[in-house]
Amino acid sequence: MVTFNRRQTMGLIGAAAASGLAAPALSQNKKVVVGALRFTSHSASFIAAERAYFADAGLDVELRFFQAAQPMAVAIASGDVDYAVTAISGGLISLADKGAIKVIGGALSEEPGIDGQKILASDAAFKAGLTSPAGLGGKKFGISTAGSSFHYMGSKVAQAEGVDVSFTPLQKVGAIIGALKSGQIDAWSIVPHIAKPLAGSGAVHIIGNISDYLPNYQVTTVFTSAKNANDERQQTSDFLKAFSKGASDYNSTMIDKSGGEDGVNEMVDLIHKYVYTDRERAKAAPSIINGTMRINEGARLNIASVQDQLSWFQSEGLIDGDITLDTFVDTSYVETFEA
Amino acid sequence: MSDATIKTQPIEVRFRGGGFAPKARRWVGLAVFVVLVSIMEIGTRSGWISALTLPKPSDVLATFKELWESGLLFKHLLPSLSRLAVGAAIGATVGVCAGVMIGLFSYVRAGLVPLVAAIFPIPKIALLPLFVIWFGIDEASKYALIAFGTFTPTVVATYGAVDNVDRSLIRMGQSFGLSWFSIVRKIVLPGAMPGILSGLRISLAIAIILLVAAEMLGAEYGIGAYILEAGSLYDLERLFAGVVILSLLGVILSTVIGFIERRLLGWRE
Repeated sequence: MVTFNRRQTMGLIGAAAASGLAAPALSQNKKVVVGALRFTSHSASFIAAERAYFADAGLDVELRFFQAAQPMAVAIASGDVDYAVTAISGGLISLADKGAIKVIGGALSEEPGIDGQKILASDAAFKAGLTSPAGLGGKKFGISTAGSSFHYMGSKVAQAEGVDVSFTPLQKVGAIIGALKSGQIDAWSIVPHIAKPLAGSGAVHIIGNISDYLPNYQVTTVFTSAKNANDERQQTSDFLKAFSKGASDYNSTMIDKSGGEDGVNEMVDLIHKYVYTDRERAKAAPSIINGTMRINEGARLNIASVQDQLSWFQSEGLIDGDITLDTFVDTSYVETFEA
Repeated sequence: MSDATIKTQPIEVRFRGGGFAPKARRWVGLAVFVVLVSIMEIGTRSGWISALTLPKPSDVLATFKELWESGLLFKHLLPSLSRLAVGAAIGATVGVCAGVMIGLFSYVRAGLVPLVAAIFPIPKIALLPLFVIWFGIDEASKYALIAFGTFTPTVVATYGAVDNVDRSLIRMGQSFGLSWFSIVRKIVLPGAMPGILSGLRISLAIAIILLVAAEMLGAEYGIGAYILEAGSLYDLERLFAGVVILSLLGVILSTVIGFIERRLLGWRE
């Protein structure tokens, strides 16, 4: 088996990241490790690092890259990483229940009117009549693992349509794409920058939007170790401020187009340093632009959506039924809202 | 011969043999387990082992009981056992056949040994997505993965065992005018059996390891799927309960092979 353990993976990735990053090292600066995935949804961290917002806040940030959200959550729990952004999953809540981590802010959100996550159908299923989510009854819906955000989305869509779907765990996004293309599974939901190229190839079809079923879905959240949230208040709020500045830059440039085309191009250049680095810029740019979704201003947290997700995980028996929102979320750092 | 020589003081020779022979010490193995588990229990209860590091063994036991009472244990165990049985049976049977052929025929050896050497180091789990395309997402791809994983170690162990059969016995059979087929049946196969069975111990353990990998894709039920789900939910109690089941499977398989060894290799005594 070629499963790298976390230490090895981080060693490799850390070595790669360290060689490419020249973080401004001021002596009084606090060393902070920020975990990230190479997705456009993590752009706020990239921008804050590139435009020295972290440095201005007195934080010497080292970005550490992971292949999946789950090892990143465990790395926060073990203290190897200080702050990270990821989707709410059963694993994340379980770690919070064990007193290891806290959600301190919101990041990526679904917003009506902005292209969000898409519901996909395989070509075979599409031809057999799966042209809208209403036809999902009895179909196989791809998920990475039980208790993942895919599981939540699929279940919520099925619930809204009043149908039963069966979930097929496939562990990795790559495996899900393969299974969907070859018709082994019937449906899936995924962020637009992956959904659109797939649909463009004709092997799969977009049959709906997640935002129609889960408007204002709080997709990802900012989280940290319980120790940072409780004992390092200054550092944590400094981090959130710098992070929000990055998020704000991202929204105004990519969604509101305040800088026009030039602004978008410049932002794509910046993000391309971290995302799709294996592709040339011309090929990466459409994917980066397609992936644009709003990152909450000021890292505001949609507490209603978080509560809904928590309740869903509990109703499915994936996590302990006694976990409350307070064990999971520390609302003292950012503004919360209900939508 | 004089009396003097007889009367010389005999040097007392202490018995220096003995030792270096493993004896059955029945309860020591159990004691090691008990000590380890109680350290875990005491540590997690008193708090110097955090809930993040290890689960409470008593909680694991409770999870196990819950699994048993809800009937979920068999819902998970039966698909896994059938995958294990079918996959390992295919892999081991084809592996033993191929190994014997390699041992007996030079052309087969020349053709297959490099191929087996090339297949052996491929991490089978890396081919999993490919298997899904070839065999579909349902049971067939899981059988194929386990069969593929047990095949190569079985082949290597089998042709090694055939090679190690005492040549003088074969020559003797030839002198007595035994037919080729008779030599294979009465000398080569029994002679190779100890090596084949110890090879099977390894390949069946690999089959259990691959069970978790096989259930990564598209398995809703199964011990491997259960462990993976517990891992992604960071549910240590369920994770350990699943791992204990795999360990028990390993112990049971090893015992079964030990039993087969005693039956088939009685001629050695």
